[in-house]
Amino acid sequence: MIQFLAPLLVLAEEAVVEESGGIDLLLPETSELIAGFIAFSIIFLFVWKWVLPAADQALAARQEAITGKLTQAEDAKQEAESLLDDYKQQLARAKGEANEIVDDARQTADALRTDLVGKAEVEAESIRGRARDDAAAEKARAAGQIRDEVAALSLELAQKVVAGSVDESAQQTLVDRYIDDLGSLET
Amino acid sequence: MGADQRIDGYAAAILEVATAEDELARVGDELFRIARAFESSPELRDALTDPRLPTELKKGVIDDLLGSRTSALSVNLVNFVVGVGMSADLPAIADRLAERAAAKRNKVIAEVRTAVELDDETVDRLTSSLSQATGKDVEIKTVVDPSVVGGVVARVGDTVIDGSLSHRMQEIRETLTRR
Repeated sequence: MIQFLAPLLVLAEEAVVEESGGIDLLLPETSELIAGFIAFSIIFLFVWKWVLPAADQALAARQEAITGKLTQAEDAKQEAESLLDDYKQQLARAKGEANEIVDDARQTADALRTDLVGKAEVEAESIRGRARDDAAAEKARAAGQIRDEVAALSLELAQKVVAGSVDESAQQTLVDRYIDDLGSLET
Repeated sequence: MGADQRIDGYAAAILEVATAEDELARVGDELFRIARAFESSPELRDALTDPRLPTELKKGVIDDLLGSRTSALSVNLVNFVVGVGMSADLPAIADRLAERAAAKRNKVIAEVRTAVELDDETVDRLTSSLSQATGKDVEIKTVVDPSVVGGVVARVGDTVIDGSLSHRMQEIRETLTRR
């Protein structure tokens, strides 16, 4: 095409040189206009035919990609919010359960403590009671033992005194009384 | 044969021997006193029942203790009982002999324990009173037992009539210790 346009450019330059002067100096040559028009048209066609569709396609693809990413982002955001809600709910439930567990544990501990304290008090009272009973029994036993020993010693002494004081006459009196008493046992 | 039957058998044999010798009353009385001495003397009891001592030694002890104070028949009968290894049953045999001898005369034995020896008149009164009290014709065997202290303890069969000072003191002791 350059070879085709080259003579036109030479003719145009010659015309410029010949007619240089006045308003013609400002106006382009007709050939130059034609060539410019043709070149513009070619470029316009080229752009309109290939560049614009490619650009439109690229822009559409780009828009679609952006739209897709925006949608993904929106979905991800919704998913994240959903997850966040779930987590919050789970956290709330976990907190509730934790509180319930703590409350239960506290109640159990209170009940256990109350029970243990009660049992300990009962056991302590029982031990005190047994100790009192043992002490009383030991006291009674000691008193009884002392009483028995005193009685035994007294009786032993009395027996010795009596044995020493029962002479032949007293022996006979005792036997006679026994014989008299047998009368009351007659069948 | 049980121990009770053996005791009864020996008592019956001694009864027959004493009856044949016409010394039943004396032998019965002497054996009864020997039995009481046997009961009240742990040393005599241990000496006669010790299985390690030879029989001849035991017989020697009996001869020394009884020879001069009891009849020869009684000593021989005690030696016989000791010789057959029935020393521990001597009191029971003597008691059974006394019961059999009394039963032969339609009487029952009343063992009377006192702190001092009783005179014959008191024994007669006691015999009469015990017979009336028990409703049986009793024959008294007296035993001098210082532990009685005073009064009388009479045993007729399983019946004990205790009028001793030791019994009264025991009652007082029990009353004092029961409070």
